[in-house]
Amino acid sequence: MSTDDHKDSHLVKQEDLPEGVILRDHVVDGIQEYDQRLPFWWLCILFGVIAFSIVYWLVLDDRSFNGSAHQELEAQLQAVAAKRLANSIDVTNDDLFFEMAGTAQFVSAGENTFMTNCVACHGKELQGGIGFNLVDEEWVHGSKPSEIYNTIAHGVPEKGMQAWESQLGQKRIAEVVAFVLSKNPGLKP
Amino acid sequence: MNTNNTKTTTIVYDDDSVRKFMIASIFWGLVGMGAGVLIATQLNYWQMNGKFLEWITFGWLKSEGVEFLTFGRLRPLHTNAAIFAFVGNMMFAGIYYSTQRLCRARMASDLLTKINLWGWQFIIVCAAITLPAGYTRGKEYAELIWPINILVAVIWLVFAANFFWTLAKRNEKSLYVGLWFYIATIVTITMLYVVNHLSIPTSFTHSYPIFGGVQDALVQWWYGHNAVAFFLTTPMLGIMYYFVPKAANRPVYSYRLSIIHFWSLVFIYIWAGPHHLLNTALPEWLQSLGMIFSLMLWAPSWAGMLNGLLTLRGAWDKLLTDPIIKFFAAAVTFYGMATFEGPLLSIKAVNALSHYTDWTVGHVHAGTLGWNGFLAAGMFYWLAPRLWNTKLYSTTLANAHFWLGMVGILLYVASMWVSGITQGLMLNATTEGGTVLQYPNFLDTLQAIRPVMLFRAIGGGLYLIGFFMLAYNIWKTARSGQAVNGTVEVATQTESDTDKRFSTFLSAPVIYSGLIIFSVCLSIFSNGALFIFGMFLTIVFIIVAIAHFEVSKASWNDWFEELLSHSFGFSVLTIIAAAIGGAIQIIPTVTVQRADNIEGRIQVPYTPLELAGRDIYVSEGCYNCHSQMIRTLVPDVMRYGNSGQGGGYSHLGESIYDFPYQWGSKRTGPDLAREGSHRSDDWHYWHMLNPRDISPGSNMPNYPWLFEKPIKVSQLPNKIHAMRMLGVPYPIDLSEEEIQAQVDEQAAGIVERLAEKGAFTEPDREIVALIAYLQKLGTYTETGDSAE
Repeated sequence: MSTDDHKDSHLVKQEDLPEGVILRDHVVDGIQEYDQRLPFWWLCILFGVIAFSIVYWLVLDDRSFNGSAHQELEAQLQAVAAKRLANSIDVTNDDLFFEMAGTAQFVSAGENTFMTNCVACHGKELQGGIGFNLVDEEWVHGSKPSEIYNTIAHGVPEKGMQAWESQLGQKRIAEVVAFVLSKNPGLKP
Repeated sequence: MNTNNTKTTTIVYDDDSVRKFMIASIFWGLVGMGAGVLIATQLNYWQMNGKFLEWITFGWLKSEGVEFLTFGRLRPLHTNAAIFAFVGNMMFAGIYYSTQRLCRARMASDLLTKINLWGWQFIIVCAAITLPAGYTRGKEYAELIWPINILVAVIWLVFAANFFWTLAKRNEKSLYVGLWFYIATIVTITMLYVVNHLSIPTSFTHSYPIFGGVQDALVQWWYGHNAVAFFLTTPMLGIMYYFVPKAANRPVYSYRLSIIHFWSLVFIYIWAGPHHLLNTALPEWLQSLGMIFSLMLWAPSWAGMLNGLLTLRGAWDKLLTDPIIKFFAAAVTFYGMATFEGPLLSIKAVNALSHYTDWTVGHVHAGTLGWNGFLAAGMFYWLAPRLWNTKLYSTTLANAHFWLGMVGILLYVASMWVSGITQGLMLNATTEGGTVLQYPNFLDTLQAIRPVMLFRAIGGGLYLIGFFMLAYNIWKTARSGQAVNGTVEVATQTESDTDKRFSTFLSAPVIYSGLIIFSVCLSIFSNGALFIFGMFLTIVFIIVAIAHFEVSKASWNDWFEELLSHSFGFSVLTIIAAAIGGAIQIIPTVTVQRADNIEGRIQVPYTPLELAGRDIYVSEGCYNCHSQMIRTLVPDVMRYGNSGQGGGYSHLGESIYDFPYQWGSKRTGPDLAREGSHRSDDWHYWHMLNPRDISPGSNMPNYPWLFEKPIKVSQLPNKIHAMRMLGVPYPIDLSEEEIQAQVDEQAAGIVERLAEKGAFTEPDREIVALIAYLQKLGTYTETGDSAE
């Protein structure tokens, strides 16, 4: 029993086709092939993209082979750093932090940041855990607001405290300091 | 030649193997898709990593997590099963069925066919055991350990031998376009697989790849991208060229489109691999080549779609009634969609948003579920009645499968678009004038996409149900009929395949192609005068070639027709076309980007304990969710670039001793390139025990077994020896005792620091090695500048 009898009846014949449509005379296992012209819009995509690619390759100023020079990125990072500097807060000014701690807006913003980023190690009640207790009046890395700021911003890698400055930015860290101060009435100007 | 009086003989096709491959494909397809649905749910519900066993057995099985079921171990199982088991067997079924008919010859050797069939199934079983057990090479789609690699290579060569032998024995002079694609598949996969699996074994179950860092990244994606190209695309196109005209009973739309489509696809695809490494430490010239060649793939890919869809022209009425035509039309349309999305994602600026997110996952699944899965379904529904000489059991059920699968794919792809773009935008979002990240906590971005990820699991589930319907339908069809083998009458005279073998290579089209590629390379690799000279030559050669073609179209056409009757010459030209791109990208990188050539940052080699920890990291499949590559993008540097040491983006020297590289391809969790000395040892201890204690809302599995399993110190001398052979500067006379002493000393230090914080463990536990490794990540020294 053969399952592969292909009757020739379904085959398309050249003489039935409209003018210009070429049918190859080669039939394989009952499969025929036209030889239609390439669609014009398709040729446009093909050559358009090739042309774009050549131009992109030629005008691209960075075809470097060493993989370590990224002047454009360095410039962008410099711009960010400059902007940060221009908007920077005087983080050595302890009075500023105490003033912030007295302002509900800053304290609640600081609480939000604390509860997403710091709570895992320092606890909901600031009671500590992996990180130090922040309400026990013991300040290993300094109790002045500017010192607390410094600890958060630059971290204490050997103790496992990470540096948060690039992730959180000065403002959010200052708010966290304000929040911590508000929980430590013992810390006074 | 007088053929009127030639005697004919009857050839019986080997359709028995086709049936077996088809059944295997359906079976493994269900397994692979089932694994996919399971790991999709794990991303929403961490309990699906094993805790769920406790619930479904009503507490009989106590488990905080089963090591064999974590995402990191099952994701490789899912990808390998879907690609090599499901599509692999489907491809063999399609190739074995169509090649015999296109050659009008039975497969050359029944023995080779059997070895191919059962060897492949044996490999799959080995993979299904070793991957969940944590035996892996740590490279995507190339995870299988080296003994299995050798088995794969052998079985693949058996398949190749059987195929080419059949071509040699064919009773059909000219090679049909479907066969071109099969040839391209076989020769290219052989090349890719061998190069990307070159390894130095350290034990029967473990090896290190011979390429490391940036070299490994490049080789891996040259392979990884072209596994998609030459395993999931070219064989499928060959199958499309056979089964679509068969099912539609229409001639193929355009022969000349086939020619351009085939050669441009084979030549261009190979170059596109670096688009998986955009904005990373990969040298710029490779990134640019990867991007522009991906863009140039758009038209050749769409040529395949056009030839598929326009072949259906005139058969559109069948679309309403015939599920096979539905599946084929949808498959080809998804192919067109995925090959438009691919070039889009390869644009550096788009990639900055999409890379490492679910968008890429959605893109892949548009191709695999839409193109591969639906083409497979169409082919199976077409084959089953013919292989069992009966009617399809239920057309209604097949139609239902189509619509259920379609809804599944659309849900899947759409939710991945939403999820990927949402998370990408959130991760890159800055505030306060672009100076700080708007969502510094990675987990915030995860919470945002959780609801959409759930829809992905639902979509995948629907698709899986559809495939169960297919399995049932095919089973009932087979039961209702009787297995039959196709036959054909062929004339007994044979034609010689040996004439003019070598004239193939001295023809005008080949010479022009060679000259143009040479002059393009000249300008790629040089500056100044030579660069301009190369450009000039390129333009001249192209103009001359076009002019020559216009003058002597007919003779070029004759040459190609002639080539189609010489399978050897055709295969050699295919190998050359497919090898050029990889050679131009990989050879310079492997020879130039070596540790002793690199200026600036150089990675500090791992201590023995850290190396052991790294192997645990690889074996648990952490790279499936965590990258180690801070891209050259401002938000990436802001989020991950912070460290005591210089920081910034990842330089290529920082991972130069990583065998295999661990840059990753998806960030389900945050990047870990600078994880070292970022947090305390006990943070990692508690986090591995239960991530949610430290990071509320995390979807990472618990890893309780790391606290019980001992470190395999006895393997370290072999591993360090292999590392030294690969160029990592370990002292040459490091004895086993010294290695043990170093491990003990470092482990004791970690255990002591943990104990101070109330986290207790033994120094020989895997967790200790893993912490040592994590704390080392991102450690480098400066060379070059400081040496002056």
